Amino acid sequence: MTPATPDRRTVLQASACGFGQLALTGLLGAEQARQNRNQPQGWQPHFTPRAKRIIFLFMQGGPSQVDSYDYKPLLNRKDGTELSFDDARVLANTGNRGSSQQIMKPLWKFQQYGDCGQWVSELFPQTARHVDKLCMLHSMHTEGVAHGPATLFLHCGATNLVRPSMGAWVNYGLGSENNNLPGFLSICPSPGNGGARNYGSAFLPPIFQATTLGSAGRPAQDAQIRDLVNPRLSKQQQQAQFQLLQSLNQQQLQQYEVDHQLEAVISNYELAWRVQGHAPEVLDLSRESAATLEMYGLHRKATEDFGRQCLLARRFCEAGVRFIQLTYGDDSPNPAWDQHSDMPKHFEHARAVDQPIAALLQDLQQRGLLEDTLVWWGGEFGRTPYAQNKGTGRDHNPNGFTVWLAGGGVKPGFAYGATDDFGHQAVENKIHMHDLHATILHLLGLNHEQLTYQFAGRDFRLTDVGGRVVKDLLL
Amino acid sequence: MRAFLILFLLLASQARAEGPEADFEFFETRIRPVLIAHCYECHSASAKVLQGGLRLDTRATSRRGGDSGAAVIPQDTENSLLLSALRYDDLQMPPSGRLPQRVIDDFQQWIEMGAPDPRQKIHPPELPAANTVSQPHWAYQPLTVAAPESDLAWPANSPIDSLILAQLRRQKLTQVAVAQGRTFVRRLYFDLTGLPPTPRQIETFLHDQTPDAKARLSDRLLASLQFGEKWGRHWLDVVRFAESITLRGTLFPHAWRYRDYVIATFNADQPFNHFVRQQVAGDLLTAETRAEKQQNLIATTFLTLGNNNLEDQDKQKLQMDVVDEQLTVIGKGFLAQTISCARCHDHKFDPIPTRDYYALAGILRNTKTLQHANVSKWIELPLPLSAAASAEFEKYTGQIAERKKKLDALNAQLEKVGPLPVDQLPGIVVDDLQARLIGSWQPSTFTATYVGQGYQHDMANAKGQKEAIFQPPMALDGKYEVRFAYTPGSNRSPAVAIKVTSAEGVATVTINQKVKPPLNGHFISLGQYHFTPAAIPTVSVSNLGTKEFVIIDAVQFLPVALAKSTAKPAEKTIAIQDQIKELTAELEALKKKLPARPMTMSITEEETIGDTEIRIRGNVHNLGEIASRGFLQVIRTKIQPHFTTQESGRRELGNWITAVDNPLTSRVICNRLWHWLFGQGIVRTTDNFGTTGEMPSHPQLLDYLATRLVQKKWSLKSILREMVNSQTYQLSTDLHQANAALDPENRWLWRMNRRRLSAEQLLDAMLAVSGHLDTTLGGKTIRAATPNDYNYQHTSFQRAVYWPVLRNSLPDAFEVFDFANPSMVVGQRNISSTAPQALFFLNNPWLMQQADYLAENLLAMPAFDDEQRLEWLAQATLGRSLLPTERTLVLDFLSNSTTDLDAQQSLWRQVAHTFFASLDFRYID
Repeated sequence: MTPATPDRRTVLQASACGFGQLALTGLLGAEQARQNRNQPQGWQPHFTPRAKRIIFLFMQGGPSQVDSYDYKPLLNRKDGTELSFDDARVLANTGNRGSSQQIMKPLWKFQQYGDCGQWVSELFPQTARHVDKLCMLHSMHTEGVAHGPATLFLHCGATNLVRPSMGAWVNYGLGSENNNLPGFLSICPSPGNGGARNYGSAFLPPIFQATTLGSAGRPAQDAQIRDLVNPRLSKQQQQAQFQLLQSLNQQQLQQYEVDHQLEAVISNYELAWRVQGHAPEVLDLSRESAATLEMYGLHRKATEDFGRQCLLARRFCEAGVRFIQLTYGDDSPNPAWDQHSDMPKHFEHARAVDQPIAALLQDLQQRGLLEDTLVWWGGEFGRTPYAQNKGTGRDHNPNGFTVWLAGGGVKPGFAYGATDDFGHQAVENKIHMHDLHATILHLLGLNHEQLTYQFAGRDFRLTDVGGRVVKDLLL
Repeated sequence: MRAFLILFLLLASQARAEGPEADFEFFETRIRPVLIAHCYECHSASAKVLQGGLRLDTRATSRRGGDSGAAVIPQDTENSLLLSALRYDDLQMPPSGRLPQRVIDDFQQWIEMGAPDPRQKIHPPELPAANTVSQPHWAYQPLTVAAPESDLAWPANSPIDSLILAQLRRQKLTQVAVAQGRTFVRRLYFDLTGLPPTPRQIETFLHDQTPDAKARLSDRLLASLQFGEKWGRHWLDVVRFAESITLRGTLFPHAWRYRDYVIATFNADQPFNHFVRQQVAGDLLTAETRAEKQQNLIATTFLTLGNNNLEDQDKQKLQMDVVDEQLTVIGKGFLAQTISCARCHDHKFDPIPTRDYYALAGILRNTKTLQHANVSKWIELPLPLSAAASAEFEKYTGQIAERKKKLDALNAQLEKVGPLPVDQLPGIVVDDLQARLIGSWQPSTFTATYVGQGYQHDMANAKGQKEAIFQPPMALDGKYEVRFAYTPGSNRSPAVAIKVTSAEGVATVTINQKVKPPLNGHFISLGQYHFTPAAIPTVSVSNLGTKEFVIIDAVQFLPVALAKSTAKPAEKTIAIQDQIKELTAELEALKKKLPARPMTMSITEEETIGDTEIRIRGNVHNLGEIASRGFLQVIRTKIQPHFTTQESGRRELGNWITAVDNPLTSRVICNRLWHWLFGQGIVRTTDNFGTTGEMPSHPQLLDYLATRLVQKKWSLKSILREMVNSQTYQLSTDLHQANAALDPENRWLWRMNRRRLSAEQLLDAMLAVSGHLDTTLGGKTIRAATPNDYNYQHTSFQRAVYWPVLRNSLPDAFEVFDFANPSMVVGQRNISSTAPQALFFLNNPWLMQQADYLAENLLAMPAFDDEQRLEWLAQATLGRSLLPTERTLVLDFLSNSTTDLDAQQSLWRQVAHTFFASLDFRYID
């Protein structure tokens, strides 16, 4: 009996039949798929997903809910008065509840928008025009009082222990939706407050971590996928070199009898060749119309950077990237939205993101993408309704804050949950960060209790031992 | 195609005609291996979660099928769901990718044949399953010292070989031939030194005809300095070695000392038990020499490398998290036990109660790893110096301390700047609270150098619309100095216009609020003015023309007589300031003379030592009973620890881990060595010897190695020497069909595993071949003046083990080629095969630079013609001669150019680059 040896031709023939899957395994690591006991879930959702992909607009530093989306008229009436609050930082440092704090009214005026009549402050006038698309979660609460712990909790569901990031979990659970691009992209991630851990894979195979483009604190214009282009050879020269490489590989392969790992290397070269042909086009904004560029604010200095990120997000969305994270932040320990002493600075940040976000929502809708794309806006926590040290800024507040979702199977023009009359603590229909994670996974077709990975002798999951799907938010 | 199929079926039916034995053989060779490799994971008794209710590991369940219906219906290729799933018709299996057509054809043929299947009953799994309750778990049993089975029918080099061969025979497997010399020499160099042999080294070995040529080569490589660079790195994977933490990218400036210590320890072949004790309790060990003292202290860096969240505001929680991290590394690293599982509840699978966890936690809680603050910090300790260096150092530190003390005393005499009450000020003071305000001003106390109750700012908005008017409550008569108070800051306006209305008219003074007010840190003088009762003195501040914050705090009207005495600092103050200036200069000079004091990351003992409480359900604030310090109860050794209130207990911990009768430590390290050499461990779950880990494939071999290690005084090199000198290690990677059918995973080692080069091996090999490898050993390698690890550019030409391991900025190749995650214990790296790896080989600039150097070297061999150059290139990169087909392809490629020198050079660069990217460079055969 002749040993049945699939040579490269057979491999490629097979890939011609079931190309998508082969390419996918190549991109994701064929050997894991075969050998790891923790096989990805077959890259199939647990049930029919409402959203195929997700865009997370990370507002690093903690935007103030009481100055933006959580309207509390009482703050205007009580402005300047001193009252006792359970401050999260005081509690963590000393174990004491109740400290005297001076109320600070919102610095921006609120008004109602849209058919739903949701209150939005003048910080976000452009996003406010799309309020009928948004699903407001006013009763968020999370863990960690400082940026480091809370940022890790937001991304990985743990304040300290090394755990996979949410994008890595989704990538592990669902794989990529396309053959030519990675499944999890993070544009301009911040190197601070947990840095690489916030998009890392921890104990999941490294192939599930994010492919990063650029870094917060550097211009989005320079954001690139590493090693995507050969800077020195012409297309033609590279083609000739590639042919030489694959022919050599073919000759070398023939020295051995069947070896799947070597075959995988060869097909990965084919795949990489296609990726480098395809991805630069997705990254190239030059074919977008002037009107589109203007809509995203690329013509104005204030909005150029985040506008570029938003437009890239839409393009990655169209190309079938599963999890796209954008970061409005920087590389400092007191990132962007972190206004401890200078609340008015919120205006600068809001101006930088407002128009790009509005454009993204509008663009996704007009292209029919909003239906199966979930957009998630939010920070790692909110801010206190009182002034820090009776000064002119607000401190961190993990006990009550607002995030919003849009598209992808959530109720539009909807508001859920509430904080107390001061906007300090979530009191009604509270949503813990684990709950938000569980809900988002649910929208993507994943059961957060079943999306597990065995490591160090036990099963781990994003939501640890918590999390519940907030069904009231779902369409 | 159809004709072919018919022919195929004819052949198949002929095969069938040969009887059930042949049919079963077809199943065993073509079907069963595929089922094992691609289906059993989800569709067998061993599946973690049985998918679709389908089991394919018995005949009966295969025929019955799962939720969707019958999987295998003999002779019915239309309705056998297994076949349609393999074809990717509707159901698509396996989900990881469609199998080659050849395999699908086999299944079609098999079903046509009537699906002969010898599996009448449920077979036990090939390896013993996790232990049952009745039988104690293997890993906790004492080492067995069984004499290796000797069998004259199987010639064996060593006990390793005889144990391997005995199993092979039992499994009815045949060992393949020993690898060729050139394959062996490349393998051995990479495995022991991490570097490829040079063409000359290959040549020398191949010409050495002496019978012990292999053994002598392995001795030489084990003794080389490159050995530690290769094997020390393996240990650095286990101990999550890194030189920064992710929180703020903060650098560990002294962590490199630990890396160099590990490499030196491997090179010196220090006993492994001592190595363990040094890392756990080096600070508590006695040492004879200064060098030893230094090493002991550096070794404890081991405990400090965790990627902790130093900013956690709940410091009690942070402390227990640090302890947990240390226990994780000690547990998994030395003992392959998942101790952390018992933090919140008794271990669900292994005999580790929560009490044991806190018995161990008590030991580590007595150890101070962090100095707590808003952002806590690790501890750095000075390394002991020589007597002379120490005296020199003390001389200068003494002088510096003395000057510092004087300086502090002088500074204390100077007036402190803080909130200044209005009633302490002479003259007439108008505070901001008494000013008439136009527009909205925000009160603040953030910068605490204000006058009175606080100050106010314009919120940096509504520019040109805000004004503050200061007027004294009474009429003034005479000459006054007018002073203005503000709190400075970098976000303030640099040019604030202030108008002073006096009898002399209106004067405008512009001040810079970014700088500290010159008068005692509170006031700036706006000048001296004459006032009469006829006009009301007015000082008005507007935010017109400013962009940043404008501050208003107070205005002081000071009679000129008083102004003189307070305008200038007292003479005494001037004298003090002069002294300060002088002392500061001296101090700076002394600091420059101070010899650099070598520091290391370390730990200290806590001030109070004792046992700690169990934390109920892991909640650090929920204290339960005290758990006396101790170890894992399941591992009983002869060590009788005596815990005192004087010492943490780490010394005892180190002794218990390395006790001769602790059955885990020696097994775990020998298994690690085996894994790092053969590509898979005897226990494949190298970091988990608990009940959820795998069983050893060769328990006797593992115990032989572990016993041998202790006999050999814990010398790792002795064990490695035995391993590489065994015939098992020297086998070829050749495929043997019958073996592959029975043991597709090579669990029984009938051949050597083909392994790919690791990230470090790739980088090192390229540097070595390009001729640009910087062979400097160790040292501090993070570039000077690097503030944090953000976007660090790796430009080193030293071996990759020395490239800074920065948690936020790993080198590209590390990221892409599955480098160990530096925040976790990694005994086994992932082996992925991905498109980003291919992109790295196609386009990475660093790689192309090495290819350029290589091409330059090739072209600089004037005596060589193109063919000889190519031959050298193949020897250097692939460790073998050029294949004739390769020669043709490359010569053909090179002929694409004119005689133009630049074009020639460019093509040679591309050829060198292509060899780096080719299969035979990337894999060790």
